[in-house]
Amino acid sequence: MELFLQFCINGLMLGMMYALVAVGFTLFFGVLDVIVFSHGDTVMIGAFGGLSMYWWLGAVYPGLSLTWTVLWVFLAAALAVTVVGTLVARFLIMPLRKAPPLNTLLATMMLGTVLREAIRLFFPDGSNPKPFPHLLPEWSWQSGSLTLRFDNALLFLSGAVMIVLVHLLITRTRLGMAIRAVAQDEEAAQLMGVNFTMIVLATFALGSVVAAFAGVMNGLYYNEINFGMGLLLGAIGFSAAVIGGLGNIYGAILGGFIFAFLQTLGAVALPFASAYKDVFAFGSVIALMAVRPTGLIAEPSSQRV
Amino acid sequence: MFRPMQIEHLHVAYGNACVLNDVNMEIGPKRITCLLGANGAGKSTLIRALVGLTPPRRGSIFFDGEDITRLAPHRVVAKGISCIPEGRRIFSKMSVEENLLMGAYQEKSRGEIKARLDKVYDIFPRLAERRGQLAGTMSGGEQAMVSIGRGLMPAPRLMIIDEPSLGLSPALVKENFRIIRSICETGTAVFLVEQNVRQTLAIASYGYVLSQGRVIAQGTAEELKSDSQVQKAYFG
Ligand SMILES: Nc1ncnc2c1ncn2[C@@H]1O[C@H](COP(=O)(O)OP(=O)(O)OP(=O)(O)O)[C@@H](O)[C@H]1O
Ligand SMILES: [Mg+2]
Repeated sequence: MELFLQFCINGLMLGMMYALVAVGFTLFFGVLDVIVFSHGDTVMIGAFGGLSMYWWLGAVYPGLSLTWTVLWVFLAAALAVTVVGTLVARFLIMPLRKAPPLNTLLATMMLGTVLREAIRLFFPDGSNPKPFPHLLPEWSWQSGSLTLRFDNALLFLSGAVMIVLVHLLITRTRLGMAIRAVAQDEEAAQLMGVNFTMIVLATFALGSVVAAFAGVMNGLYYNEINFGMGLLLGAIGFSAAVIGGLGNIYGAILGGFIFAFLQTLGAVALPFASAYKDVFAFGSVIALMAVRPTGLIAEPSSQRV
Repeated sequence: MFRPMQIEHLHVAYGNACVLNDVNMEIGPKRITCLLGANGAGKSTLIRALVGLTPPRRGSIFFDGEDITRLAPHRVVAKGISCIPEGRRIFSKMSVEENLLMGAYQEKSRGEIKARLDKVYDIFPRLAERRGQLAGTMSGGEQAMVSIGRGLMPAPRLMIIDEPSLGLSPALVKENFRIIRSICETGTAVFLVEQNVRQTLAIASYGYVLSQGRVIAQGTAEELKSDSQVQKAYFG
């Protein structure tokens, strides 16, 4: 039982990370009808951006308090990813808008490779995994064999806050209304006076900030990052977005948690072979897609955001 | 004086398919100018060109003397042009009120937005009752009100309307025409694309007839009523 609870706690953590990545996939699909396959690698850029900032702070302001370090690390990650994300949107995805969707998919897949290779080749000793610093207090509550770590709880809560902020932005602000309008009918939105290019870039910036957060969270959780970490995260985030019904933000969040739940279930149900938990989870996703091709949240396929 | 729109030697094409050929028109102030034409004549294409959705191959479009030919739609809107597109195109997953707010997207003043909202609710009390309802769940007639109300929200100087009565009952069509006339009476120039020739010519001052991408007739409403081309095309 305690083991099960422990798995659940870990699963929630992972679910939050996946949800944050899936939100990006679903946002981009909403406004532009494209799958940005490199999104997982954007997450990786975020983690490396955060790590670089940590190194730089260590060299320039050795005595900086932990709180400030964490804030700066998150900020650097967000900045790095927003720059990469909006540049990609402006110079790769917007120009390919009139091309068949498969071309965009292919282009973003190749872009993902470029991002991974760039880090591998140009980041100092980039081909080896990098230790990610412990930046959060390492308290924990112990009850029997059950451990609840304070830093993980904090990460989970901040992820939840992030999701609430995205929700408020989408539902309550003028920018959010424009994003929804573009997602529903891009031409009608333009006729209302919405600057389409601006909204697309803003959406990519938003998705990127959320991804950056997931990247740093990933680093803090595993205390290690590597140039290839975005590949699996991307596949998982994409699956989560599909499970939830592409284009639906809340579906994507739900999808993230479902995927983590499946992984956890795989690990619990197959204790002799927990290395197969991803196989189990992806297999279940494939089965799910066969049953519900448009995702779990039942909506006509044309509706989004 | 305000000269809403001049269209000069406009050529529009989708890919290789030429849809409009050398179209010349003038939309006058304080009146309804109408555009008639059979299905596929190119009426909606002309409107897409005017608002910047399909930039023309050649020719010019002037709004109040200013060249707006290749401006992006949001810049055209900023000049004071609003468009009620073919098929209404309301945001079906937004509430009625959000749809109206989208109409005033470029207006920054909250007070002004509120005043315009009240005005639209005044014209369409039905929308006021249903302001929180998802627009996609409204009836066809109510959705028509949403699209017209949304088109009024930017307080436009020129309103371009593409087949507003499509799919409405005769009673609603009549109501629609009454509202369009009252919009014009408040000083907004109206460019109206319609298939209901009799009712359109009853409220329009001037009109053009488009056929296969060319203007084949034009004149005052009186002239058009007796024009042989129009007679042939519509009154058989
Ligand atoms: N996106 C497009 N791509 C290619 N051809 C198009 C496109 N849109 C319209 N057309 C063609 O352009 C011509 C004019 O179409 P348009 O929609 O302007 O006609 P219309 O006068 O508005 O007709 P209706 O009264 O049926 O609305 C038609 O032959 C149509 O097939
Ligand atoms: Mg048409």
